[in-house]
Amino acid sequence: MTVDLETKSRVDCLLTDSAMFIDRDELSAWLDCFEDDSRYVVIPRENRARDYPVALIHCDNKARLHDRVTCLRHANKFNPHFDRHILSTARILSLEDGVAAVESNFMIVQTTKTGESKLFCAGCYEDRINVTSPRARFRERIVVLDTFSIPTLLATPI
Amino acid sequence: MADLDAAWPRNDYSRVRYDLFHDSDVFEREQDRIFRGPVWSVLGLETEIPNPGDFRVTAVGTTPVVFNRDQSGAVHAFVNRCAHRGAELVREPYGNCKDHTCIYHAWCYTLQGDLIGVPFQRGANGRGGMPPDFDLREHGLQKLRVAVWKGVVFGTFTEATEPLPTYLGPLMIEHIGELVDRPVKILGYQRQRVFANWKLYLENVRDGYHASLLHEFNRTFGLSRLTQISGGHMDDRHRHSLLFQYAGSDDDQAARQAYARDRVQRGEYMTLKDTAIVRYVKEHPHGITTRIISVFPNAVFHQIYNCLGLRTIRPIDPGQFEIVFILFGYEDDDEAMTGHRVNQANMVGPSGLISMEDGEALELVQRATAPDRDAYGMYEMGGTGTIRNLDTRVNEVPIRGFWSYYSELMGIEPAGAVR
Repeated sequence: MTVDLETKSRVDCLLTDSAMFIDRDELSAWLDCFEDDSRYVVIPRENRARDYPVALIHCDNKARLHDRVTCLRHANKFNPHFDRHILSTARILSLEDGVAAVESNFMIVQTTKTGESKLFCAGCYEDRINVTSPRARFRERIVVLDTFSIPTLLATPI
Repeated sequence: MADLDAAWPRNDYSRVRYDLFHDSDVFEREQDRIFRGPVWSVLGLETEIPNPGDFRVTAVGTTPVVFNRDQSGAVHAFVNRCAHRGAELVREPYGNCKDHTCIYHAWCYTLQGDLIGVPFQRGANGRGGMPPDFDLREHGLQKLRVAVWKGVVFGTFTEATEPLPTYLGPLMIEHIGELVDRPVKILGYQRQRVFANWKLYLENVRDGYHASLLHEFNRTFGLSRLTQISGGHMDDRHRHSLLFQYAGSDDDQAARQAYARDRVQRGEYMTLKDTAIVRYVKEHPHGITTRIISVFPNAVFHQIYNCLGLRTIRPIDPGQFEIVFILFGYEDDDEAMTGHRVNQANMVGPSGLISMEDGEALELVQRATAPDRDAYGMYEMGGTGTIRNLDTRVNEVPIRGFWSYYSELMGIEPAGAVR
């Protein structure tokens, strides 16, 4: 659907900012992209297609999302790497009560600390975004992973 | 071929030569002697194929396998390869069908794996076709022998494989049996490709020692600590294993001091804003909170608090394997319990707050051992010599048990081998 340029701009800004925060390893700033009452799920495409609830990362509230980042920072050991998100333009499906339903595609290239890059995953974001204030935030982000046979492991949020 | 006669400098498997994780001849021999040998492999769960005609693609070792349910409700399994020219027969990972038809030349098979259709078998216009003595009955799919126990589907390529209950033994029957004692409900799949040898994962799930050293989440929240009541038990032949744990059986402060003393924990312990993920709802009277149950050669059942799962391991080549996790609950779980299990699934799999580290650890071993294949890994935690059950997880003995049975099947036991 077509929306006013201001709404489109708020959506685009959130999508690019949130990806950039991950790529820069600024996960606190990334957390600020979510509303206080929000949901973040990274789900294999096969589970999404078959309505299975189990995901890879399943945070039903922001506290759990915050905990995920805490664990990543303080407990988990994983393959040291850099991420680069490559995003598609966003498709706005609807706008109701200040919340836009938005779909966009992504690929992530992972690079090791010794400088080797490879395509890590591809998939699609299914977002519900609160666009009422100049700084839009996610109410819900469902990351549907086409690459659901995860190479090695998936630590950093997508 | 690696010099397998030199594989074991000690007869108790307390040294394992790195060759075994890299050599391609070893890998081929494993396909013959183990996966196509006298073992029962887990194919999946019956509830994955609830209706007649439902099928799912899986694998036994590197061999592609399909299992399906026929019109009478019976479960069959066969190699996913057309008997004609070897094309992959079933191309969808799961689905429902009336029969299996190869796309290449449209040869058609029943859900029992029997060949029932060869287009133009008698030729066309009186020309061509198969020789007159061609018999459809002799060209069915290669079938596996199937056994279904409590909804778990097993398959074997060998007529001589012992009956499934004997193969599993009382320990597996008790502990797996308890996890599948009522109808299960699939909550979803997770898949992970690890660039390491498949046996490093079989070691990992028999390795009680690493669980709180590698996995800080376990240590921090006391899901699994070496200071707790715990242990590693095996079946009589030491091919399967059970690692078990009673969370809450140690003292938090004393445990933290013990880890700090041994220089494991160097920083502050973290805290959670939402602690539901580390809440255990008691489901069994004995109160075991974590069980990692490894079934030789390709399966692991786990109970980590209330997160239940079946993992099957599919070797791809000497340096790569895939783990398929099926997370499940029970048909009679209420909505809250299902939500709790889905939340606790955050702890397992390729993004697991506990288990993501395993993918990294296994690849570290694979990379670092590659250039020095005549060297050996060391397995002495819990003692050397006799392979026995221990009520501690400071213990690598179940790994030696695995290697012992592996060597028997591979025909590479050292002189005077401990079994």
